[in-house]
Amino acid sequence: MVKLIGALLVLVSASMVGWQISRSYAKRPVQLRALLVALQMLETEIVYGLTPLQRAFVKVGQRVQKEIGNIFLSAAELLEQGGALSAEESLQKAILRHGAQTALRKQERDVLASLSQVLGSSDREDQQKHLRLAVTHLRGLEEEARAEQNKYEKMYKSLGFLGGLLVVILMF
Amino acid sequence: MDFDLTPVFQIGAVGFITAILHTVLKQAGKEDIAHWATLVGFIIVLYMVAHSVGDLFTEVKRVFLFK
Repeated sequence: MVKLIGALLVLVSASMVGWQISRSYAKRPVQLRALLVALQMLETEIVYGLTPLQRAFVKVGQRVQKEIGNIFLSAAELLEQGGALSAEESLQKAILRHGAQTALRKQERDVLASLSQVLGSSDREDQQKHLRLAVTHLRGLEEEARAEQNKYEKMYKSLGFLGGLLVVILMF
Repeated sequence: MDFDLTPVFQIGAVGFITAILHTVLKQAGKEDIAHWATLVGFIIVLYMVAHSVGDLFTEVKRVFLFK
């Protein structure tokens, strides 16, 4: 009886691991889309609203999905603290702090990081140009993420379950 | 004479799961990993079979060499 419970426990936990990995694949396109929306809002704020960067970050951060919004909110907070952090440094720090909670990979973080070098340090047109560039870049990554989701989401689910089953049978 | 059938079923199940793993990985386009998974499954089964054959040898020794 104890053996059976243990087997069930192993099986369930292995399936959960597979499920968790597959969920990160499902989350990535959604978060990328949120990031796209965020950047477009930021463009509006910068180009048409002429909002100061800190307030623009807060506005954007409150309106998009939570995990993505946290990055912007944290960046705004760091800017406001006024520890002589530039916009670039505060955004980089925010990415470091909240990046692990999102499903974003290094590529997206790099796009954001290179964008941060321009934000708040040049004129409107230049920032708009770079925002557009980042948006097109992220669009490509989103397509890629969607293709990967179709390919690997199911695979990791069944892989977790089958791996658990294999362990159970080997130990039974 | 009691014959334990558990190892037989175990080997069968491992082979079955390996086959499914291979198909799943192949469908996801990771054929190289699929081949590795099959190889690992094969090695596991080989290990189990080697154990059983070793048992058989000691049994044969016990019966014919009167130890």
